Amino acid sequence: MPSTLSRRDFLKVSGAAVGALVLGRFIPPQVAEAARTSGMLDATNSGYIPTMCEMCVWRCGLLAKVEEGRVVKLEGNPDHPHSKGKLCPRGQSGLMNTYDPDRVLTPLIRVGKRGEGLFRKASWEEALDLVAQNMLDIKQKYGPEAMIFSSTHNLSQVQFENLLNAYGSPNYGTQRSLCFNAMIVSNLMTYGMEEPTRIYDDKLSYILLTGRNLLEAISTSETHDLSAAIDRGAKVVYLDPRFTKTASKATEWLPIKPGMDLAFHLALLNVIIGEGLYNRTFVARNTVGFDDLKKEVSQYTPEWAAPLTGISAETITRVAREFAAAAPHALAHNGWRTSNFVNSFHTQRAIGILNALAGNWNVTMTDGGSEESATLGQPPQPPYPRISAMRLDGVPWKYPIVPLKIGVFQELREAAISGTPYQAHGWFIARQNPAMSLPDRGRTLEAFGKMDFITTIDIIMNDTSWFSDVVLPEASYLERYDPLLPVGDKVFIRQPVIEPQGEAKSALWIYKQLGERLGLGDFFQYTDEEDYLRQQLTPLGVSLEEVRAKGYAELSETPHSNETNEPSWNTPSGKIELYSDTLAKVGFPGVPIWEEPPQPAEGQFYLLTGKVAQSTQFGSQNNQLLHKYSDEPRLWMNLKTAKALGLADHDMVEVASTAGKIHIKLEATQAIRPDCVYLTPGYGHLSKGLTIAYGIGASDSDLHVTYTDPISGGQALSQTFVTVEKI
Amino acid sequence: MKKIAHNAFLFDASRCIDCRACMVACSVENKIPMDKTRIWVAGVGLKGEYPSLVRASMVYHCMHCNEPDCLSACPVGSYSKRLDGPVVYDPQKCIGCRYCMNACPFGVPHFDYDKGLIDGAFIDKCSMCTQRIDIGLEPACVATCPTNALAFGERADLLTDAHTRIAAHPERYVDHVYGETENGGTSYLILSHVPFKELGLPELPSRPVKDVSEEVMGLTIPFALGWGTVLTAVAAGVHLYNQKKEADAQKLETSEPQTEETK
Repeated sequence: MPSTLSRRDFLKVSGAAVGALVLGRFIPPQVAEAARTSGMLDATNSGYIPTMCEMCVWRCGLLAKVEEGRVVKLEGNPDHPHSKGKLCPRGQSGLMNTYDPDRVLTPLIRVGKRGEGLFRKASWEEALDLVAQNMLDIKQKYGPEAMIFSSTHNLSQVQFENLLNAYGSPNYGTQRSLCFNAMIVSNLMTYGMEEPTRIYDDKLSYILLTGRNLLEAISTSETHDLSAAIDRGAKVVYLDPRFTKTASKATEWLPIKPGMDLAFHLALLNVIIGEGLYNRTFVARNTVGFDDLKKEVSQYTPEWAAPLTGISAETITRVAREFAAAAPHALAHNGWRTSNFVNSFHTQRAIGILNALAGNWNVTMTDGGSEESATLGQPPQPPYPRISAMRLDGVPWKYPIVPLKIGVFQELREAAISGTPYQAHGWFIARQNPAMSLPDRGRTLEAFGKMDFITTIDIIMNDTSWFSDVVLPEASYLERYDPLLPVGDKVFIRQPVIEPQGEAKSALWIYKQLGERLGLGDFFQYTDEEDYLRQQLTPLGVSLEEVRAKGYAELSETPHSNETNEPSWNTPSGKIELYSDTLAKVGFPGVPIWEEPPQPAEGQFYLLTGKVAQSTQFGSQNNQLLHKYSDEPRLWMNLKTAKALGLADHDMVEVASTAGKIHIKLEATQAIRPDCVYLTPGYGHLSKGLTIAYGIGASDSDLHVTYTDPISGGQALSQTFVTVEKI
Repeated sequence: MKKIAHNAFLFDASRCIDCRACMVACSVENKIPMDKTRIWVAGVGLKGEYPSLVRASMVYHCMHCNEPDCLSACPVGSYSKRLDGPVVYDPQKCIGCRYCMNACPFGVPHFDYDKGLIDGAFIDKCSMCTQRIDIGLEPACVATCPTNALAFGERADLLTDAHTRIAAHPERYVDHVYGETENGGTSYLILSHVPFKELGLPELPSRPVKDVSEEVMGLTIPFALGWGTVLTAVAAGVHLYNQKKEADAQKLETSEPQTEETK
């Protein structure tokens, strides 16, 4: 074998786990029967069933290959706009989530101390009665607001919210403030929508990516579209302190200093306005507040931004001119996980405004519609009880412009510890892992300690389940129905392709069962999952059987009709708001302004976080197939910096912040700025119920310090500074 | 279903984002054990000095050579070459001799020295997903590739496509399609934005290694016969010389008593 051909080293998995792909349950009765009736499966229960992926929130369309009642392969559904026949490594590995030997397959009730991991198996009857009794007790003693409900972006969330609203608690935690609050809130202020859809057509010639590592944080169709644009010869300018795989494919990589993206974008606005390079017709017709913007950004010259960003004034000026010259076939991408610094809201506003100045609406950006469609039916229900209690996370009394459905999760956790404005007593968690995702894990465990009762719904023993009193086993996404999802002019289905394993049940079933036990049965007027979907489909006049066989149904009308009319936006002025009166009224700057973020002291580094293609957040590290092809999570440090500190590749180091410390192996690399270190999130699990993932790497949540952007409520995830020492 | 005369892959390193979807897809499709793989990543990875960096990697598996060395080296006929492209391996016939491992210029057959002769041989190589291509599907790795770094089809068409891409972007590509001629041509064709050596590919002549070895091996009998003749002649000469020498010595030493003992 030539020595240049090197092989990847495989982290060996335990003998017991090897070959788990070929074990499992046999012949699903109900699911198979229905699929046979609609012609998807043959007499041996083999064939392809269309459904939807849940390995990330992009939700690609799937064709699940079933053989004798087992899922044996997943293919991207060519009919689905998010997959177009392709799947990323996570999508391909999805069946291993279902067949994970660590699945929780019966309800569990804690018998040891919290965090000891001692549980006993229980019947659904007993577990649901126990959860409902605790929730009723808390409601009676402290009021419904003493229950926290939290869940991460998923298709059954609408019924999770139904349970929360019917129960009457205002305390709702989503993952969004740990991710993209800055982007969502700024888009709402500028465009009146959470996130415009990006259009990658053949004419798109200039793409500015601000930390959007699209070739590693994969959204299958968009990753494909960006790659195809690069292939066609579109120019891609990529800002990131790390040389990611996206950086390696970009035309130009600008290793910007963390937190200084705002300065870079303000300087772009300065050049484009100062040199009159903006689309005057579009700006005059479709925007408000140009003069205020012009006045503010006149001070932010490229020469001013150069020393802050580490990017030369010439480069900034050139990028501004190139972007304007390419307009309207230019796109400044918002990024996704964008809440990095306390100034990130302004950064996001500046990016949104840059697009507006380029006049690229309906050319490279448009209104993509929403996940909720008015054309779908829903079960009848009574009005929700009136809620008078303040929210613990400070929305809106401390964070006036953060939407209620989004919230400020890290502040909710803080209030659970401090007991102000009142003490929470119970926490109901569905498909979410705050023990890994929230900053400062020590404080999250402290908040758990304040709870009389914690219950978690998940498919595996995640770290939060590990600290729960009751764990309710959910059916995996290949084993259950979820509410229908509108995408563009179609509505797509997630349906079971195999029977749920063990006692696992769908979230739709679990919420209804709990609702009935809480005396809220009127809010859950569906007999089962299929009945729920049938009620959704009623206005479309399409049968569930037809949708199951095809995988989707056409919606009777397109959700947006901007193409024919003069465009309008759901903002107070009906236009794109360069200056926002809404912001000004609550005391925030109406246009983006420079706010200097804190910087590390001598001997400290920025702690950066990011994504790899082989894992999703905090829930996929136990998947054997992903584990098989994942790199060992190590702390990236610039090679020269490491040498200067006397550190070598693979050295074990102690990384410390004011929140805590971790031990991890070093990866000395050229691919990062000398003033930064980087750690892939999602490792350092606490739950010993995750036999593959437990014991690997370390968690950045042990280091992250809690800082909240005062405008968007986003957790400033890159604002933690650390020291690194050899052990 | 379109009939393909010669199935082949085209891999474009400039499009590959090293996401490893192909690796997972292959593992699932072919039920590969968790500690084994049929696809690997090779290449220098990062090159250069911050901030002037280049990344180069490729995914590779069996190259499905037009004239496979493994097949030629295998003493028991475990390998066969299908007329439509795939080099197929039959584990039932394999005796674990590892000749293929030494013969393959791309290092595809693999051996685990801790596991011994039969168990340690990992020659469960890429089959070109014959179970899929025979019913008109692309191999699992190609079908899922999110950036179309992998393509599959008629070898002649893929070569045309590859040369078209080079012509359209001469500034991007090395002006060569690896596998077009290497080792007599392979069914895994590679386009690259960096020298092929940096992807870990060996420089090979267009004449297959197998031909050279077969030619050399073909000379074994004439060589053995020829060399045998020479050696026999030399041996005979030496023998005659020794006999003569002995006879002469005998003549000289007949008077010495020791020689009596040696007789």
